[in-house]
Amino acid sequence: MRSWPLLILALALSILIAACAGHDWATPGDLFRAMAGAPDLRSRLLVEWRIPRVLAAALVGALLGLGGTVFQGVFRNPLAEPYLLGSAGGAALGATVALLVPLAAPQSFILPVLAFAGAWGATMLVIGISRVSGAVDAAGMLLAGVAVAAILGALRSFLMLALSDETVSLQIVLSWVLGGVQTPSWPVLGLLAVISAACLALTMGLAGRLDVLGLGETMATAFGLNVNRFIAFAVLAGSVVVAAAVAFGGLVAFVGLASPHIARWLVGPLHRPLLPASALVGAIVVTLADAIARAALPPAEIPLGLVTAVAGGPFFILLLARRLRT
Amino acid sequence: MTAIAADNLVVRRNGAILLDGLSLSLGPTGSVAVIGPNGAGKSTLLKVLAGIEKPTSGMVRIGDRDLASFSNATRAATVGYLPQYFDPHWDLTVAELVRIGAERSDRVAAGAIEQATARFELTTLGQRRWSTLSGGERARVVLAAVLVVDPPVLLADEPAASLDIRHRLDVIRTLTRRGGDRLSVVVVHDLDLAFTFFERVIVIDRGRIVADGPAKSLIDDRRIDAAFAVDFDRLKTPDGWLLRASTSGS
Repeated sequence: MRSWPLLILALALSILIAACAGHDWATPGDLFRAMAGAPDLRSRLLVEWRIPRVLAAALVGALLGLGGTVFQGVFRNPLAEPYLLGSAGGAALGATVALLVPLAAPQSFILPVLAFAGAWGATMLVIGISRVSGAVDAAGMLLAGVAVAAILGALRSFLMLALSDETVSLQIVLSWVLGGVQTPSWPVLGLLAVISAACLALTMGLAGRLDVLGLGETMATAFGLNVNRFIAFAVLAGSVVVAAAVAFGGLVAFVGLASPHIARWLVGPLHRPLLPASALVGAIVVTLADAIARAALPPAEIPLGLVTAVAGGPFFILLLARRLRT
Repeated sequence: MTAIAADNLVVRRNGAILLDGLSLSLGPTGSVAVIGPNGAGKSTLLKVLAGIEKPTSGMVRIGDRDLASFSNATRAATVGYLPQYFDPHWDLTVAELVRIGAERSDRVAAGAIEQATARFELTTLGQRRWSTLSGGERARVVLAAVLVVDPPVLLADEPAASLDIRHRLDVIRTLTRRGGDRLSVVVVHDLDLAFTFFERVIVIDRGRIVADGPAKSLIDDRRIDAAFAVDFDRLKTPDGWLLRASTSGS
């Protein structure tokens, strides 16, 4: 329980540091003046560009943390994550179509819609395949998910090769696929905040049943859980969360995998504390990683997914090694 | 009055017949041992009676209602099930496991968690995690989590098979004592425990009941020898019978 103030303080600090960081470093005083409505260009850039971007990164991280926790809870597998289950791959395919195929609707609208449709469709495909093959359990869905993710990845690569006649559009897709939080307008940021809150509420509604499922499928059934129906529902809920994260943040590797582990070490494995803690950890990680992505090599921006993988991978290995030794 | 009854249960899985038209009727109290050779269908029978697996055909009745018509929550609160192996995926604490057990019913008596914790001597272990518990402690935690809602029917699938003899006796005594005012049905591997501690013994072979009766009179039944495909020597001891297998049977 003593972890909560620590987590919240760490998030506040991360947001402050990230808001200061960038091509042009700001001081907390600059930020305060900008938020108070100072009219100069620099303040307006901070308010219109950097602060919404930092908050969006935090929310995308929180969504990734939630999604990863749900998937690990459903599949009771510490390696389960959105990428393994096809939902992130489906979202990426949808987004690639939105970025490369000329469509009638504006891209800012069609991208999240297609990303969500892709995540949902891929997840339904995984559930459908495992149902047809008669393996509607966690292992069957995991296998179907790996297969679907591989097919979707190949499709996406093919689309990128076939449809991008100019290198510019290919670069846009590539930078999106490698992960990168879009800078939202304040109303869009508000929408993202509402979506994130809804996702938190949705996943918290699964918490008690995720705990029961963690007892094993036989015991969970004996304790009154309709296991297969719950797994299908929870996977769907998890993909909604992932679709939201992917629509706003591209493919950010690794956060969905690592956040639940870190959160579990802080608050234990019960899902009621674990879900919000994992969201906080994900928010901290992505906020800091996004700051590094913006500030490390100015004026260029490193894709966020590369930062999370390069910085997070060794960190995760270190934590694992320490945990195995104790 | 019957607490739980099975009508003509058939279970087929992948072409194999696991239960072959099995019927039985059990009263609201008593301790019942289910014995039989490996693959006889004991575990399948218990899972079907608990509503964990659905029979291919046939029906399980609780009181006078079809078990299939129960809501999941009512079934979970009415029929307690102790699995053969239990290994929770997350490293929960003792208190958390007992609470999850209690939360499966919406009609848990006030103080039930504290009572179950005290009864199974877990009070000082509340904050300990599963991975740090000994086999005997784990068995008591599972018993507490399953029995905290005080289900009228308890079905236990060899819950003590992997424990040493003292802890196995503790668990078996807990289950048979419960037969005083509730129904306890226990799959037992150790035949001497079955005939010494239980009131009624049911012998299952190839998905059917081949013998069923009070432990005291059933011990002489040669159908037990046939089911296990050995000849037993029956040795009388001051507090029960010993069955010793001789090798001539097969």
